[in-house]
Amino acid sequence: MKARRRVVTGSAASVKRRPTVRKIKPAIAPVARRASSSASAGSAATARSAASAAARPEPSLPAAPIDLAVDLGRGLVLGNPILVASGTFGYGIEYGDVVDVQRLGAICCKGTTLRPRIGNPTPRVTETPGGMLNSIGLQNPGVDAVVEKYASTWAGWQVPVIVNVAGESIGDYVEVVRRLDGVPGVAGIELNISCPNVGAGGIQFAIDANAAGAVTAAVRRATDLPLLVKLSPNVADVRPIARAIADGGADALTAVNTLSGIAVAPSRARPLLGNVYGGLSGPAIKPVALRIVYEVTQVVDIPVIAIGGVAELADVLDYLAVGAVAAQVGTAIFADPGLPVRLIGELADECRGRGLDSYRPLIGTALPKRAAPPSARGVEYRP
Amino acid sequence: MRLGGAQLLDSREILPGQWLQAYLAPDLVAGARAGQFVHVRTGDYSGLVLRRPFSYNTIDPLAGTLTIHFRTVGRGTAWFTQLRPGDRIDMLGPLGRPFEVDPRSRHLLLVAGGLGIAGVRALADEAIRDGRQVTLLFGAATAREVYPSSLLPDEVEYVVATDDGSVGHHGFVTDLVPEYEAWADQAFACGPLPMLRTLSNLAATRRQRLGVASLGRKRGAGRPLAPGSPQARKKAFLQVSMEQNMGCAVGACLGCVVMTTSGTPQRVCREGPVFAAEEIAWEGGW
Ligand SMILES: Cc1cc2nc3c(=O)[nH]c(=O)nc-3n(C[C@H](O)[C@H](O)[C@H](O)COP(=O)(O)O)c2cc1C
Ligand code: FES
Repeated sequence: MKARRRVVTGSAASVKRRPTVRKIKPAIAPVARRASSSASAGSAATARSAASAAARPEPSLPAAPIDLAVDLGRGLVLGNPILVASGTFGYGIEYGDVVDVQRLGAICCKGTTLRPRIGNPTPRVTETPGGMLNSIGLQNPGVDAVVEKYASTWAGWQVPVIVNVAGESIGDYVEVVRRLDGVPGVAGIELNISCPNVGAGGIQFAIDANAAGAVTAAVRRATDLPLLVKLSPNVADVRPIARAIADGGADALTAVNTLSGIAVAPSRARPLLGNVYGGLSGPAIKPVALRIVYEVTQVVDIPVIAIGGVAELADVLDYLAVGAVAAQVGTAIFADPGLPVRLIGELADECRGRGLDSYRPLIGTALPKRAAPPSARGVEYRP
Repeated sequence: MRLGGAQLLDSREILPGQWLQAYLAPDLVAGARAGQFVHVRTGDYSGLVLRRPFSYNTIDPLAGTLTIHFRTVGRGTAWFTQLRPGDRIDMLGPLGRPFEVDPRSRHLLLVAGGLGIAGVRALADEAIRDGRQVTLLFGAATAREVYPSSLLPDEVEYVVATDDGSVGHHGFVTDLVPEYEAWADQAFACGPLPMLRTLSNLAATRRQRLGVASLGRKRGAGRPLAPGSPQARKKAFLQVSMEQNMGCAVGACLGCVVMTTSGTPQRVCREGPVFAAEEIAWEGGW
């Protein structure tokens, strides 16, 4: 006997709404794109077959389709819960020769700022035991150039692209998001709030509940795009910050960004990275990220997407067990570009092996028992 | 760019701490050119999370083989030396942009410092195959670190400098350059940053000092070429192969940049690793 536990907070009817639709883009419906993706089938059928193809490693096997869809609210429904993390997958095009990007749950693109940034001096990356440090310094061509260069490509894709946004002031964040609002191809926003708030003495938004809540609320007012906010692990207690962000109107949380660290140059004459400080990522940070996801999923009702050291299916299952609805793969892509797409198939197989028709019963199994399990879907849109 | 399997054929320590490995890797060899590189996965993801970039040291398209040449500097490179013939590893390549030789160039000057030989070695083969004359200037600290001449094609004129004078010229490899500047149509270099910077300074003043017109540029056609473009390199007297720590090696992470004179950092893995010397901001510029 299998327990079919549906992890829902709303009515069953609203949850079941288009359960196999791979993705619904907000605002501008890409009709032309749908039409071009399949000449024979209707749009719903096309989306359904795409979703089930993603869940099945071998189309020839008579495997039952597994429902891997993730509803993040505001119409952003991912075909599956495996995303690629900001900064590790560029703008989605760089790995195109070796990765079938269309099968990913979503792509979080490189951090985007209002004005172009040349980033930090080199060296910018170095390997550490079980991980790496990076200090890219948010090099990017600025939001206008990002839209001009990539948005039309993204608009032709099935896979949703979530634009990761960074800024030095609330005004910066709001302005970047305004310029992304309504752009075809932009499926959502992920706020990187691990940036110094220049107006407030350079304290990072992410380490102060008030600042984190304020920037979330300001961006929320500026756009109806699905809004994800990315937590920093470099805090004493993440829970009040997570709550402030949820109260500020975020649709989902992503956790975590990199851990602050440094390395020393081989000469021992100076720190190794050009910027001295870097962010630690990779398998080394997984226990920390797991702890943070475990804490956060217990205090917020919006979905939480886990990030940190995902390198195999067991990592994804661990994150689901502590209440995450999805996981992002970052550093592991550098070694194994095929990993994210492989994980989708492995997750479906795992469900099949356990006799499940959805991955949702895997969510929250390791959390302390409580009245209502954490939400697997977004808050309803309240205008 | 392809992800492919590579089978180790031969592995040997050609100099103290320096290894030459040959792999059968037809997928990675097809279409590969001198100056490009492969990004190679180690077998131990739990400890070594990054791939290691290696220049194509030599490329044999008929046999489907390539060689890499590296120094053991840490756990990653040590891991590769443990491999045994027959072992299979995973390579991503060919990556980056190759050296661009102007079709009119007859005489190529290659300059390598230490391990930098791996960056220009394949160009010697390509150039000789294309009927050009090649002089390779090689610099190392001592005789013990001098690349064996037996591993170079016979047609290459090989000139060595050592810091301690134990073999060849006593001094820097860059000391040897002025002697060949008039002979060379183009120069190609790989090695430590100070060496490349010195070469770049020499190249920048070469036309004045020798009174030669720059290659291929029509009078008045001074329009700057896009940084990292094959045209910019083809026209350059000196092309340099740059090194930088890498993450993805496909242009996604921006970990590997060098500052350029345009004021925009360029990716060594994508726009490079080969650049025209005049594109590089040698003093940084951040
Ligand atoms: C090279 C590199 C660049 C990154 N750039 C960004 C960025 O621009 N914005 C952001 O929010 N996170 C960025 N990150 C953090 C990742 O998205 C992710 O949160 C972190 O690496 C942890 O996941 P992992 O262990 O799977 O890599 C970057 C990480 C790396 C390794
Ligand atoms: S190594 Fe990632 S951009 Fe070059």
